[in-house]
Amino acid sequence: MKNELNIRCIMSKDTLPVTGGEQAVYALVDIKAGTSLGIGTMPSNIALVLDRSGSMDGEKMDNLKEAVGYVVDRLGDEDLVSVTIFDDQVETLVSSQPAKNRDEIKTKLSQVITRGGTQISDGLSAGLAEAKKGFGQDRVSRVLLLTDGQTWDDEDACLRLADEAGKQGVAITSIGIGNEWNEKLLLQIAERSHGNSHWIQNPIAILDAFRQEVDGMQAIAATNLTITGRMSAGVRPVKVYTTSPMIADVSSRTINGGTIQADLGSLDAKTGQKVLIEARVPAQKAGPFRLGQVEIGYDVPSQGLTGQSVKADLNVAFAANAADAAKVNAEVMNLVEKVTAFKFQTRALTEARTGNIAAATRQFQAAATVLLDLGEDELADAVEREIASLKKTGAFTAAGTKKLEYGTRKLTQVMTTSIGK
Amino acid sequence: MKCTQCQMENIEGALFCEECGAQLEAKNELQETVKGSPTERLVLASVDGSTLEIPAKDEVVIGREDPISEVFPDLDLTGFGGMEKGVSRKHAVIHRSGADYTVEDMGSTNGTYINRKKILPNTPQAIKPGDEIRFGKLTFSLKAA
Repeated sequence: MKNELNIRCIMSKDTLPVTGGEQAVYALVDIKAGTSLGIGTMPSNIALVLDRSGSMDGEKMDNLKEAVGYVVDRLGDEDLVSVTIFDDQVETLVSSQPAKNRDEIKTKLSQVITRGGTQISDGLSAGLAEAKKGFGQDRVSRVLLLTDGQTWDDEDACLRLADEAGKQGVAITSIGIGNEWNEKLLLQIAERSHGNSHWIQNPIAILDAFRQEVDGMQAIAATNLTITGRMSAGVRPVKVYTTSPMIADVSSRTINGGTIQADLGSLDAKTGQKVLIEARVPAQKAGPFRLGQVEIGYDVPSQGLTGQSVKADLNVAFAANAADAAKVNAEVMNLVEKVTAFKFQTRALTEARTGNIAAATRQFQAAATVLLDLGEDELADAVEREIASLKKTGAFTAAGTKKLEYGTRKLTQVMTTSIGK
Repeated sequence: MKCTQCQMENIEGALFCEECGAQLEAKNELQETVKGSPTERLVLASVDGSTLEIPAKDEVVIGREDPISEVFPDLDLTGFGGMEKGVSRKHAVIHRSGADYTVEDMGSTNGTYINRKKILPNTPQAIKPGDEIRFGKLTFSLKAA
């Protein structure tokens, strides 16, 4: 195995019982930067796309200006930065340029006044155009999109831009402030472009979110990360989840018969990436069995490496005697549990949006069970409050929905600073 | 595989009930990723894979550093999100006696759990590689170093 990446494949059970029927098996593919990979060696290309609509007035805009000042101070002279501001019109305040022009950038931002409504797609399109000016294989490119409002009938355009950005290697991190914005849209923009998303309740936390993003960009060790899974005959992958920077169900766009093909974006040297594959294995006789193989593709621009890949097998054994079957691996169990909490809350919200209150309540109760088991009492309480709201009004609360959408997606984040509390 | 909570029939090998979310495998029967002998040095491994070596001392206090209160635990979990995850300043102590290890909750606010079972305060409980240990909401697995 090449030492740029460390790949571990851990099965839910090393040894499965011979049952004569199909079984579920989970494979955790843990991808970490190897010791030969230096971090912080790639220059950044950051495009800030900022909502300047009327509702941003006051504390939000004051904190936003401070946070942008932090970003330009933190970036190196060779890093590139641009600032695009939008309401229902768009203005490229700072076109893509080296971050060394710090004072000029801050002065321009200080003159921004709030006005108008919110039209995200135009701002995002202009910001992406700026990001593309500085795009290169040797730079980490990212768009930070910040808004506090609902966009006007341009959700599809936003998602098309996110798809396009993801394919080009430009991650979009979406940041929503307060409760009056569409969390479904902002999460999808992030997921489709392999970016992160933050929910900020208090404007003072804008700085925390920006700091986390700049730290993340400066910790990128590998780019164009992909996973290709090829299953053995009869083995069916049924679910694929990525877990960094948030839990995401990527099954529908990655599974094709017995193969899996997923773009994973960039590899953060601090957090790595874990991919969870749930598969169905047909009946087998006793003995070793190869479920399949995963191949991780990657580039390491800092070392001039492109088109690299490393392969690892997914192996189990079948035991004739059920007593010889292995116990469940604790690490896999922990991840499956978090993904299960996410899965149930996602199902609950989907059911509720279609008006199926009984099914939504049932799925929420299952989510609460898993969250309590995980020790996530605060999230479990939030679920209970949403169940009460559903029964009373037939709808969720805006804040409760965001708390659950973001809280369950970020169950895999252990070491990050809490934002917005 | 029938769920004992809701009686729903789940596929063999499933870890959680598709209907009610209940865990289908016994909680106290989890297997460590890397097998290790209890005589080896131990590390706490977070779910993201980062590790914290348990110092070779007979007593190792685990908690959150607080210079104002003059609390300086042997293992400071602040950098693992200890504050947000409800770790007390003096949360628990790991005792080592030869090849054997125990963990004792020091009366922490949010408790200590071994393999998801809350332990009584001030009552040492044996631990071994492969165990899951939770301080408040901060979860680690215990592994051989």
